[in-house]
Amino acid sequence: MPGLAQTLFITASGAGMNLRPHHFILWALFIAGMLLMPELVGRGTLRTMVFACYLAIFAISWDILSGRTGYISFGHPFLVGIGAYTTAILTRRYGFPVEASIPIAVLVTMFGGLIVLLPALRIKGSYFALVTLAVMELMYQLVPVVRPDLTGGTRGISRLPALTRGAENGYYLAVCLMLAVALFAWLLMRTRLGTALWAIGQNEESVRGSGLSTTRLKSFAFLVSAAIAGLGGAFYAHYLGTITPRAFFDINVLFQIIVAVLIGGAGTILGPIIGAFFMVFLLEWLRPFLPGQERFFVYGAIALLIYMYQPKGIMAIIESGITRLRGART
Amino acid sequence: MLQIIIQGLLLSGLYALIAMGFMLIFSIGRTLNLAYGAYIMVGGYIYFWLSQQLGLPKLIGFAGAVAVGAIMGLLKHRLIVKPLKGDPVAVEISTLILAVIMQSAVVLVFGDASKILLPIIPGVVTISGAQVTYNIVAATLMSWVIILALYAFIRGTHTGRAMQAVSMDQKGAAISGVDPDRINMITWAISGGLGAAGGVFFASYTQLSPGMWVAPVIISVAIVIVGGIGSIIGTLIVAHIIGFLEIIVVAVWAPELRGVFTMLLIIGVLIMRPQGLFGREEH
Amino acid sequence: MNALEIRNLVKRFGGLTATNDLSFDLAQGESLGLIGPNGAGKTTVFSQIMGELKQTSGTITFMGREISGLSTPDRIARGISRTYQVPRPFTDLSVRENIRVGLMPDSLRAMIFGTVDRAREDEIAHSVGFATTDLDRPASELAMGDLRKLEFARTLATGAKVLLLDEVFAGLTTGEIAMIAELIQDLRGRGFTFLMVSHDLPAMEPLIDRAIAIERGTLLADGSFKDVLANAEVRASYLGEA
Repeated sequence: MPGLAQTLFITASGAGMNLRPHHFILWALFIAGMLLMPELVGRGTLRTMVFACYLAIFAISWDILSGRTGYISFGHPFLVGIGAYTTAILTRRYGFPVEASIPIAVLVTMFGGLIVLLPALRIKGSYFALVTLAVMELMYQLVPVVRPDLTGGTRGISRLPALTRGAENGYYLAVCLMLAVALFAWLLMRTRLGTALWAIGQNEESVRGSGLSTTRLKSFAFLVSAAIAGLGGAFYAHYLGTITPRAFFDINVLFQIIVAVLIGGAGTILGPIIGAFFMVFLLEWLRPFLPGQERFFVYGAIALLIYMYQPKGIMAIIESGITRLRGART
Repeated sequence: MLQIIIQGLLLSGLYALIAMGFMLIFSIGRTLNLAYGAYIMVGGYIYFWLSQQLGLPKLIGFAGAVAVGAIMGLLKHRLIVKPLKGDPVAVEISTLILAVIMQSAVVLVFGDASKILLPIIPGVVTISGAQVTYNIVAATLMSWVIILALYAFIRGTHTGRAMQAVSMDQKGAAISGVDPDRINMITWAISGGLGAAGGVFFASYTQLSPGMWVAPVIISVAIVIVGGIGSIIGTLIVAHIIGFLEIIVVAVWAPELRGVFTMLLIIGVLIMRPQGLFGREEH
Repeated sequence: MNALEIRNLVKRFGGLTATNDLSFDLAQGESLGLIGPNGAGKTTVFSQIMGELKQTSGTITFMGREISGLSTPDRIARGISRTYQVPRPFTDLSVRENIRVGLMPDSLRAMIFGTVDRAREDEIAHSVGFATTDLDRPASELAMGDLRKLEFARTLATGAKVLLLDEVFAGLTTGEIAMIAELIQDLRGRGFTFLMVSHDLPAMEPLIDRAIAIERGTLLADGSFKDVLANAEVRASYLGEA
């Protein structure tokens, strides 16, 4: 199959992605570093990292739509929740194998998102945010009441089939999924399509005035975002083993996703990953000092301070730090 | 039937009160102030703390709640909205973060469990077989008093008219000698106070819990947008549509479906007619 | 064939009539100046031709086909594009990337798998007067004159052969005006069609074959530049002469 590999390489390097050798090196280092983690850290830390990986997947999903095009989605927990509930219902109630239920969950998420949220892309700004928030609240109220025999009502669904055994395997699965999603999103955003989405976030009228159908572009961004959210949600559900409406269709879930993106840096791939790991580990580090609810208070306050200090997130803080260091050297 | 009408009127009055405070901010900066929910929640809890835990007179509890709400509004304008220079996305997101912080603060102080607020005015009256508590009647009457007072304030006083001017055109208002910054501050404070007052009544209608702020925020945003931004009458009408819708769904269908139709209505109207049912199209 | 035929165009905003029964033709390869005082409704006409505003009544025919039902991107795909009086750049994108957005075909497939034509981007950027060192600067760093050049470049990049230019000279230095004028002359020589609005009549005069004047959305005169300016109504409204 030299033809396929060659085509792939030419497509990747020749197409709009503009890949350079240092990109391959940095990605290889990043992937190797993540895969070596089980050798370096303990099991407890690995479990924390699994949560960070899933949060990073959701954050990347949010960023592809909201971070780029500026259409702030308050409904991402809804998408993640559809993915989780679909695979849970299929495996537990209808005996589907996970190999079938997860792809179906992704499709259902894309389809569900399409029906519910696509009309909302016609409207702008706060209105879009509000509709997505209302959709999430709607699901929270609907899921427990409609067909509780399927959804398990407020108690949710438990004893989902596990995909892996042991902390290390759970970690490998989560980290590989995250890396695949990140790499895919990175490649996609380096194409001209990524540029166009970024342009929509700055001036949607001008994008239309450049002859591009913004509705089609936004729909595409939305579908990719929904597919990633559904994929992450489905795998996450199997990792958790138990899902409840409160664990998904909740404003705190939304908060974590958005904060991860903003703290890390919207409109980048590394940003949401850094943000997710930072926030998850911050919560863990605070645990010994603040065992109770105070943690969430401090956690929220730190998030707000970083956001007020630099709305472009940690990525921008690091970049300006590097620039300053370089400036000091010369 | 009569029961539905009475309960519908009562709930609608409450919703109208909650939506008013939100409308003030939204009509000035088009800011989706999610932390508005925090005023509602904090108002309810401050009242609970002062009147039930410290045993102070109810009036002091109520005044304390309104004062804390107003101060929160002021601080938010000073510390968050102004530094962000009114960038709507940034304000939206920082208010979401703030709301979640306030929620965890409430959990920190009062615990996770929901609390029942004693009726502000105890007693029950039976009207043609319908049990109506004095408490909810009082809440509705208070709502109307506050709404009418607000209406008189906006229409009748210099500051009120200046608020209206700023909401229509910040720069124009500045040229005609109004200090938009001062007016913004006053508006944020009034909004905070109204939210807290609404929170006290809302909590006495349902119950106190750290997650209680989400639904009223969505409902008030919806009432304001569906009613047409800046239209007090539109706000009142839509508050009644939503109030009655909920009561009817509870009475003839199932209590669990209460919020479902409200959300469907909000989603439907926003998508079909973003300028609201009673609003002008914005350019 | 006429590139553009406007017939009985009317646009009302509430009680205000912004375009009042306006009709005119634009031949292929022709360059037409649209003149009129501030608030005469020139930009509103552009917005209706591009489909950003829907006319109240009347028809807009482009290359023999009625285009009133088409979206803005579809009209651009047929070969007509405009610049804006107030430039609307993508501030976080570089000059090159701004032009790239204009060059993109309206197809997701082509956007993802197609190649970036850097040579063409360079060519367009240079043709409006950007230096090679400007190409990677973000639009947020550009001065007004550069933003206007960028606006023109992005419009050119759409590949349209009929260009509506709204105040392309405003805020430019004399040297920049000369450069843009030369570019327009060059494009006219290559068969491009222009409809342009400018307050700088001396700069516009050599660039146009014909002029029309409007006031309050109503056509006052249609003819050669000299005849239109000599028209008594035009003098009264535009130049403030009685």
